[in-house]
Amino acid sequence: MDIPAMRANFGKAAATGDEAPLYFYSHLFLSHPETRAMFPVSMAHQRDRLFTALGDVVARVDDLDSLVPILQQLGRDHRKFGTLAAHYPAVGASLLATLEHFDDEWTPELAKDWTEAYTLVSQVMIEAADEAAGQPAWWDAAVVAHERRTIDVAVLRVRPRTPLPYAAGQSVSLETDLRPRLWRYYSPANAPRPDGLLEFHVKARDGGPVSSALVRRVGVGDVLRLGPPMGHLALDPESDRDLLLVAGGMGLAPMKALLDQVARQGPSRRVDLFVGFRTEDHVYDAPELRRLEQEHPWLTVTVAVSHDKNSSLAQGDVGEVVMRHGPWLSREVFVAGPAPMVDDTVSRLLRDGVPRQRLHSEIFAPSRPGPSVDGEVTE
Amino acid sequence: MTDGQGMHVSDERGLTPADLQSMRFSRASVLRPGYVETEVDRVLSRMAEELARLVAEKAELRDQVRALQAQMEGMEGVVAQQPPSEQALRILSTAQQTADNYVAEAEEFSRQVTGEARAEYEEQIRLARENAGAIIQAAQEAAAKITANATGAPEGGQRSVEELEEQVAYLKAFGQACRVQLRSYLEALITDVETEWGRADPAGLPPGAPRPLAAPAPRGNTASSTTFEANTAAETPPSGEAGNGTVVSAASGAERRP
Ligand SMILES: Cc1cc2nc3c(=O)[nH]c(=O)nc-3n(C[C@H](O)[C@H](O)[C@H](O)COP(=O)(O)OP(=O)(O)OC[C@H]3O[C@@H](n4cnc5c(N)ncnc54)[C@H](O)[C@@H]3O)c2cc1C
Ligand code: HEM
Repeated sequence: MDIPAMRANFGKAAATGDEAPLYFYSHLFLSHPETRAMFPVSMAHQRDRLFTALGDVVARVDDLDSLVPILQQLGRDHRKFGTLAAHYPAVGASLLATLEHFDDEWTPELAKDWTEAYTLVSQVMIEAADEAAGQPAWWDAAVVAHERRTIDVAVLRVRPRTPLPYAAGQSVSLETDLRPRLWRYYSPANAPRPDGLLEFHVKARDGGPVSSALVRRVGVGDVLRLGPPMGHLALDPESDRDLLLVAGGMGLAPMKALLDQVARQGPSRRVDLFVGFRTEDHVYDAPELRRLEQEHPWLTVTVAVSHDKNSSLAQGDVGEVVMRHGPWLSREVFVAGPAPMVDDTVSRLLRDGVPRQRLHSEIFAPSRPGPSVDGEVTE
Repeated sequence: MTDGQGMHVSDERGLTPADLQSMRFSRASVLRPGYVETEVDRVLSRMAEELARLVAEKAELRDQVRALQAQMEGMEGVVAQQPPSEQALRILSTAQQTADNYVAEAEEFSRQVTGEARAEYEEQIRLARENAGAIIQAAQEAAAKITANATGAPEGGQRSVEELEEQVAYLKAFGQACRVQLRSYLEALITDVETEWGRADPAGLPPGAPRPLAAPAPRGNTASSTTFEANTAAETPPSGEAGNGTVVSAASGAERRP
């Protein structure tokens, strides 16, 4: 396989911007109309996701070892879209047609290499999907409680019809019938419970279709679809090291899940939780945080505000406030929230000497770029 | 019977099953039993020829069928691999872009309206806070002055503390009422946006009846009716002759949320 040639070839398609993905999807939907229903109505923002991923992944088959775990996860995850093994050749054919269409110097060798690489990649994905056939492709979950906490934050509790196995700190993707085919990640705010309930904290983003539907339109009795869990935040069951948890805005959700796990299962340890918001009005979970702090002598909670001089809460970016309370050198550290907050906190802690391997973070990235993401993304 | 019967078979027509059924051979003679050998031989050789011809014809036909079948299969392959026409691709691409723009516009509309409404809400809250902050500061300064100047007169001091505390309560109620009113105003705006969204993006709506909005959780609030009294009362400058340290802490407590 001539991988540099394949990359160069893919580069030509990618250089057309939106044209190649548009061609790819039109080709796919015309030759296999049954696949259309798996994608959202508007694909303006998502359009290049699958297409770019295809190019990225397939042109990286020389590093199959590091790709395989990603592909397996991806293959399992694709079941929630309704993807079947039979769809893979269809996607492959449209990919090849697109790559050929945008390359004047298309050769039979390129065709052969791409076919080979694509077949390899899709085999890994299909096999992983087959192996996961024992568990549901997605979980239907009924909303059992919907609480508006602030002008744009809601706390939802949902009950999956069949148990959804996950670990505290992970996220699941979620789809509502109100916004069909738009899947977004949300972090349960509790560790797995015997009754299977999951709590989500959702902040409505201006112009954000899924989050605003979840906050303003979804109600008790509605059914959401949940995808398989994923994510890097998890407590090491072997460790009883004291914890430092730092959250920006909705990043509080996975931190509460970790806290919940310590409370339910131990082992007992000190936990210090810092939560940052822009102003005091945004603190959507104050009574609950107070209750937890009173209930658990091993827990301290510090709420910080970055843009509210009149507040009596701790002042400053949450990372800054954390540094005022250290030292944290012996802690296992978990950080979640918007990218600038996570980056800021992590780099402060690293500078302070916290070893990288004890720093775990999750960025609540938007599903797509937007005007609010440039510069300031604060909760 | 005569051998002529058997030999009615015309060369052109070939040998038919009916010919064979109606064929009669001549008896050879009294001395030699059986049919006339030459007649039988002739018929046999004609039959052999005919069979050979049929076998050949059958093979030819089979080849033809195979060729046709192969052609069909080939055609099917060609049909399946036939790429969608450039024209179809163009039409679908344009349709997709139109749909994308449609949705993008609805999203942008929703983003603008919610964004503007939120900015306004936050600005009002900020102003209300600043206002309250200034009043509280004035109260603190007055109280400090009183503490510094006055000694004794515990009765008056007590009254002043109560008054200030009362004003603090008013301020709290005012802030709360302000928030609640703005909130419902903003809710209404957002509901509009959501309805607009639903119209602009019919695919985003659930099939069937329109869904009622999720009811906002009830929030503890009873203060809205006292808004303006509270406001007026709060603007009355604090009076009193004496005070003590608790005044200051109670007043600054007003900035805190309960
Ligand atoms: C691992 C993970 C976990 C997450 N967990 C949560 C959670 O627990 N609670 C929660 O509310 N969200 C969470 N998110 C974010 C969530 O997945 C969605 O991105 C968010 O709800 C917006 O979705 P949307 O469809 O409404 O808007 P989108 O269509 O994604 O975006 C619409 C507009 O809003 C902007 N926008 C979207 N998200 C953000 C953001 N985070 N910050 C600033 N601007 C943004 C976009 O740039 C865009 O302009 C998580 C994300 C990840 C990756
Ligand atoms: C080698 C093959 C494939 C690769 C590498 C691949 C990769 C990806 C990736 C990385 C994403 C984005 C995931 C996310 O945002 O969570 C994605 C999304 C998606 N894929 Fe695939 N995919 C492949 C094959 C397929 C096939 C065969 C189908 C079925 C037709 C399919 C349907 C989808 C759908 C429906 C989405 C969601 C798109 C969206 O939200 O806009 N994929 N794919």
